[in-house]
Amino acid sequence: MAAQKSYSLPSFMNSDSSLPWLLPLITMLIVFAIIPFFYNIYLSFHEFVPAKRALLFVGWDNWIRLFTDGVFWGSLKVSLYYTFMCLLIQLVLGMGIALLIDSDDPGFGIIRSILTLTLVIPPAIAGMIFLIMEDANYGLIPWLLKSVGLIGPEDTILADPTLALWGVMIVDIWQWTPFMVLILVAGLRSLPSEPFESAVIDGARPFQVFRRLTLPMLHKVIAVAILIRGIDLWRMVDYVFVLTSGGPGTATYTLSLYSWQRFTFVQWGYGATISLFSLIVILIVGNAFIHFAKVKW
Amino acid sequence: MIRKILAFSIALIFIFPIFFLITSSFKNNIDLFSIPPKLFLFNIDFSAYERVFGFSKLLKFDPSYGELYLTSRILDSLIVGIGSSSLTLIIGIYAGYYISRANFKYKNFLIMSILSARMMPLISIAIPLYFVYEKINLLDTYVGLILIHTFINLPLAVLLLKSFFDEVPKQIDENAFIDGASKIKILHKLIIPCAKGGIAVTFILSIIFSWTEFICALMIGQMKIKTIPIQASIMKTIPSWDMMAAFTTISIIPVFIMILAVRKHFVRGLTLGTVKE
Repeated sequence: MAAQKSYSLPSFMNSDSSLPWLLPLITMLIVFAIIPFFYNIYLSFHEFVPAKRALLFVGWDNWIRLFTDGVFWGSLKVSLYYTFMCLLIQLVLGMGIALLIDSDDPGFGIIRSILTLTLVIPPAIAGMIFLIMEDANYGLIPWLLKSVGLIGPEDTILADPTLALWGVMIVDIWQWTPFMVLILVAGLRSLPSEPFESAVIDGARPFQVFRRLTLPMLHKVIAVAILIRGIDLWRMVDYVFVLTSGGPGTATYTLSLYSWQRFTFVQWGYGATISLFSLIVILIVGNAFIHFAKVKW
Repeated sequence: MIRKILAFSIALIFIFPIFFLITSSFKNNIDLFSIPPKLFLFNIDFSAYERVFGFSKLLKFDPSYGELYLTSRILDSLIVGIGSSSLTLIIGIYAGYYISRANFKYKNFLIMSILSARMMPLISIAIPLYFVYEKINLLDTYVGLILIHTFINLPLAVLLLKSFFDEVPKQIDENAFIDGASKIKILHKLIIPCAKGGIAVTFILSIIFSWTEFICALMIGQMKIKTIPIQASIMKTIPSWDMMAAFTTISIIPVFIMILAVRKHFVRGLTLGTVKE
């Protein structure tokens, strides 16, 4: 990096000690990231024993329990399914809408403003809106689905083991597809127009232009969008907390919700083990993604 | 033209749940629980708002509905939001400026650490911090929640501010430095005024993300402190949709105003400073 800059002076900051500038940030990182990380490891080898009213060392018990616990595997599956399906749907829908509204016309600017609104609603409140809209008796969505005959008159969404997760995912897709749209539109707007003009002159079909020009040129923007959305999808807890509380049964437990739920059942060690597992997975996958997708900050 | 119609109908789909929420807050219970749902033609009824603010005498004696109860939830969110965003900004400005200007050995490692902090599932911070806070009496205090929200917003703030400082020409600080100004003075007198737009954006985005955060607020706030999302999730157990709708309508209007004010930089904030609009 330093070689690229042709200033008469080397960056004037370099002689300085970095400590005073970065100390508050590093302190925060240590106190709120490093210490919790090691505390989690500590907790994962301990468990609260009600008979003795104390947190006792239990060795690998929590980890053995983790890998033999059907509910854990179920919640891992839910988290993976939720993350990948939402990411895919939001990316495809987002790209479609982004291509649609990528224009200088002021009318499309208004649409972009409208789309920002969903993103700032607290997810718990977005969940509450859909809780009303998906209510089994008076909800709008079951009523619509029933009147077009997609579900039977006695069916519900959030109490149905197979539909409940989609009932949660629809909220995520509603709230966060605009995230993809806005980022992709920003990416599309920043592309130079010359390659597209010459492609059209050369007689390229629209799909070819998209495939060979737009997608490769948007590579960095798409990578950033996938990274940030993926992180937030993986740790999602608000929607399931509000909409289903993990139910019916354990059908919509995500890793974060299951961890929280074990914590409230005073299985502190086990809850911490689940959250630690989820943390390690995202740190490895996230950093590998940054490395291989060549995302640069 | 077809494209415009299509685009506007998509926008309508996305805005519909918000419309539904706001109209629900003005419906009475008959219209709220009608099949088919009444979307447009309903009797406008302000009683939900009266109850949210505790004006209605009927519910005044119930502590779970009372006047102070719901308005103090909004106050909780404001205190935590403004407190944590101010702290985030103070830490973020110095760190962001230094990262923007200096080349140091562990710069890349530091940026990756900041990004890794952004990746952490919040539950994996909240569980250990619950025990730490319990020991140092920070559970259920504003300070405790402000600190954790500061941490949550720091990656956004540092990287976003760095990207705004990157846009301020380096010659400005270098010339001032040659003229003998101290580095801290350069930052305060020259750079911050140049980047004040970016700083305002960072501040507002931090408030918004603190306003919407759920799981840490749930675990660290216990009895005394409940931010808006927590209160909304509690209201699920009270079978009063109109009150819930009224309360959430009041609580999302300020965020809507804030976001429309910084809409131009919103994408940049969402992508931690990498994608500019």
